[in-house]
Amino acid sequence: MAPQARGGLIVTVIGFSAGIWLFLAPFLVEYQKVGQDWIDATRNDLWTGGALIAISALTLLLFAAFALRDAARAVEQESATEASEG
Amino acid sequence: MVKYVIGAVGALLAALAGAWLMLAPFALAYQNSGADWADPTFVDFWTGLPVLIVSVVGLVLYVSGLVEELRRRGIMRRPYAESAGQPQAPGEPSDNASGSENNTEQILLPLVTAILKDMQERDRSRDEAHREIPNNVQQVPSAGEEGSVRS
Repeated sequence: MAPQARGGLIVTVIGFSAGIWLFLAPFLVEYQKVGQDWIDATRNDLWTGGALIAISALTLLLFAAFALRDAARAVEQESATEASEG
Repeated sequence: MVKYVIGAVGALLAALAGAWLMLAPFALAYQNSGADWADPTFVDFWTGLPVLIVSVVGLVLYVSGLVEELRRRGIMRRPYAESAGQPQAPGEPSDNASGSENNTEQILLPLVTAILKDMQERDRSRDEAHREIPNNVQQVPSAGEEGSVRS
């Protein structure tokens, strides 16, 4: 895997972790009491955290899918070249 | 190649989310400007800033990966690839100015050679004509003889 792709994937995983943190932060930092109505900050953190999780997960999934497709194509091309040479 | 585009789009969206997190406390007015920062403001700001920075780094990485892939496939040209990659022929001038001068000479050389050859043939035929004419007859040189070249 190219170093740029590896770095990009690490960054995306960090984004995913930040989304999980945002999702849990109102309850861990205790500015949102469990059982009470959600305040504006809690709503914002949950929506933004959820969006970050969704974006990062989708990016990781699609990146992996297209990387696998590229790898499969490369193997097919290699085998076709070997067959034509042999 | 598509994977890098997807990664770049994801990183861009994450960067926008980071920027929104930094602005949200003030935009949604759960943090009054001038007042001490509340816990939600601290959390949102100090989560948004790293998310923004990390996502911008990710965006740069994905775009550089995309550019590298485009260059590898020959869609995009590597900067200064021609000057660095082309081997220099022996005896070829190194700088561009003398190189273009040399090219001009190469273009003009066959033309000059042809003109020279033509003038020499003309001189030779004129000499032969002079020999046939008796020696005691004086001839006025014609205008066509000017600029003749003798080998």
